[in-house]
Amino acid sequence: MGTVRYILRRLIFSAFLIIGVSMILFAMINAIGNPIEILLAERPGITDEIIESITQYYGLGGSVTDRYFTWLGAIIRFDFGTSIIYNLPVSEMLLTYGLETLKIQIPAILIALLVSVLISVLAATRQYSRIDFGVIAGAMVGHSLPGFLLGILLILLFSYWLGILPSYGAYSTRNLLMDSMVIDGLWHMVLPVAMLAFFNTATLTLLLRASLVDVLRQDFITAARASGLPERRVVFGHALRNAFIPVLTYLGILFGLMLGTAPVTETVFTWPGLGALYIMAIQQLDYPLIMGATMIITFMLVTATLLTDIAYVIIDPRIRLA
Amino acid sequence: MAAAQPLLEVRDLKVHFFTREGVVRAVDGVDYSVNRAETLGIVGESGSGKTVSSLAMLRLVPPPARTVAGQILFDGEDLLTRTPKQMAALRGRRIAMIFQNPATSLNPIYSIGAQLTEILTWHEKASRRDAEPRVIELLGLVGISDPATRLRQYPHELSGGMRQRIGIARALLCNPSLVLADEPTTALDVTIQAQILELLAELQARFRMSMVLVTHDMGVVARMATRITVMYAGRVCETADAATIFNAPQHPYTRALLESMPRIDHSYAGPARRVLPSIPGRPPNLLNPPSGCRFHDRCPEAQVECRRLLPVETAVAPGHIVSCLRRGSPGIVA
Ligand SMILES: Nc1ncnc2c1ncn2[C@@H]1O[C@H](COP(=O)(O)OP(=O)(O)OP(=O)(O)O)[C@@H](O)[C@H]1O
Ligand code: SF4
Ligand SMILES: [Mg+2]
Repeated sequence: MGTVRYILRRLIFSAFLIIGVSMILFAMINAIGNPIEILLAERPGITDEIIESITQYYGLGGSVTDRYFTWLGAIIRFDFGTSIIYNLPVSEMLLTYGLETLKIQIPAILIALLVSVLISVLAATRQYSRIDFGVIAGAMVGHSLPGFLLGILLILLFSYWLGILPSYGAYSTRNLLMDSMVIDGLWHMVLPVAMLAFFNTATLTLLLRASLVDVLRQDFITAARASGLPERRVVFGHALRNAFIPVLTYLGILFGLMLGTAPVTETVFTWPGLGALYIMAIQQLDYPLIMGATMIITFMLVTATLLTDIAYVIIDPRIRLA
Repeated sequence: MAAAQPLLEVRDLKVHFFTREGVVRAVDGVDYSVNRAETLGIVGESGSGKTVSSLAMLRLVPPPARTVAGQILFDGEDLLTRTPKQMAALRGRRIAMIFQNPATSLNPIYSIGAQLTEILTWHEKASRRDAEPRVIELLGLVGISDPATRLRQYPHELSGGMRQRIGIARALLCNPSLVLADEPTTALDVTIQAQILELLAELQARFRMSMVLVTHDMGVVARMATRITVMYAGRVCETADAATIFNAPQHPYTRALLESMPRIDHSYAGPARRVLPSIPGRPPNLLNPPSGCRFHDRCPEAQVECRRLLPVETAVAPGHIVSCLRRGSPGIVA
């Protein structure tokens, strides 16, 4: 009863949050001015009449509020207009590019989660040992390594020298590996996923190890051991679940922002993903695309935050549903 | 002869912390024994090594501490030579522990029922369904009303006294022969303290178990203990039956402890008030323990030799052991 009402209230709050972001976004874009003028005014042969007609074509006439509500009404129907640069429906682009990004981000986060749990347990149960110091040092270096550097190293090693993995794109342009879309796609995913998983593992390990060390010092862990429970259960059953509580927020943000957080990887591996597209859209002032991508990323982040809050309620009984 | 064998016999136990600053001699040559179905009270100031020596019984001293010497004979067998697997099988089943702070010694994210049934199902390979009625029964025994409801509650929903009752129930789940109670009432309100002590005494008699009751409070051991061991700075000062400790204490530290206890027949207020004596000085730093007798810089009876010689425990009467140079203990250079 309490939980359902809590979720309902958080849902309504999330909706307001998204609308709020849409207003701010619209106001900011609007403040820059009429994009058509900015993009075309300096070109030779552009008359005021042409600007006027294009402005009408993109629905940029009328008052700000009118335009905002027209836009809001459209995006609710998943209609984000037409990309200025690509001349394609933005919704279609978001879907294609977004799915390509999810294809590398989701496996990368899941792999990182698994690996960082194993490494953190290994390190935290041997606090201040050589293994522990090695893990801390490795995770720190990994955490601060420049992304493109690792990407280029991976390409050098696996594509250039060993020649076993492709260095760009999501599919082969001519012959698919083993004539299969699936196998060829997976083959192309290996390096970008490895790169993203590497960075996520480094950061997650730093957080999780510290949290786990903290939990393992607590009395209830000694008490669980003193009750004769085997170490495996003490660590995985009692300590790990507690250790995840402070890490949950980070995980939520990781999932929430994943559409936009892989531009470097996508650029290094020429992966047709949303992060790289977003940056390009900003550089080229492709307004409909910028707004569409921003709204999609906002929506994902708000949803992930909502799910994180619900996860907290499930995992930690001390949280009061006020 | 065999019948007189104590359930637990600790000999020359040493637990040291290996820190960056040096070796902290938290427990430094401790001897005591616990007979069957008796309560041994271990008294000592904060930091005298009470918790660490209790954890040593379970071989659970936290790093950077290590048990570096001694024997822990439980039922005649040395626990320090047991394999980790054998140790794990003893913990919770034959030797159990009640913790000092009930607020931190229960897992905050699992229900009371989940935590207690887990232990029972693990040790006795019982199913959850079989374990639950036994947990409920035990919760009733430790004085928890409406145990079936409590089972579904979480630690934060219970009061401190209630949580400590849960802690006691957890220790007694598998009917252990030895219970280590580490200051089980220190973190509780005075009124609750009395209730918990009463409960412990009752359960100890009922299950005929042996108990080591660790405390810094002479008043607590006065009510509970058959015999008493007084510890100071990681070493034993004096061991005797409770009556002897209170009526004929030998060691200067024991005497000082007793004098610093408030007494019901003394008035500490009003014009004719007494001043409650306290032991001058501070407990020693165990990183650099005092030479000779650990108590010499605070001892009213200290002599020159006390700085140099470490007193060795000696029986001054049957069952009454003292380590003080001025009570006839031999001294060693250490
Ligand atoms: N992590 C540590 N590093 C170094 N020394 C430690 C550490 N933990 C404990 N000690 C040492 O061990 C000694 C005994 O600690 P212990 O917790 O057993 O005391 P205690 O008698 O239980 O005290 P209290 O009444 O406060 O619970 C302390 O005086 C301290 O010097
Ligand atoms: S040995 Fe000396 S210093 Fe130690 S308790 Fe006895 S008299 Fe005091
Ligand atoms: Mg203690």
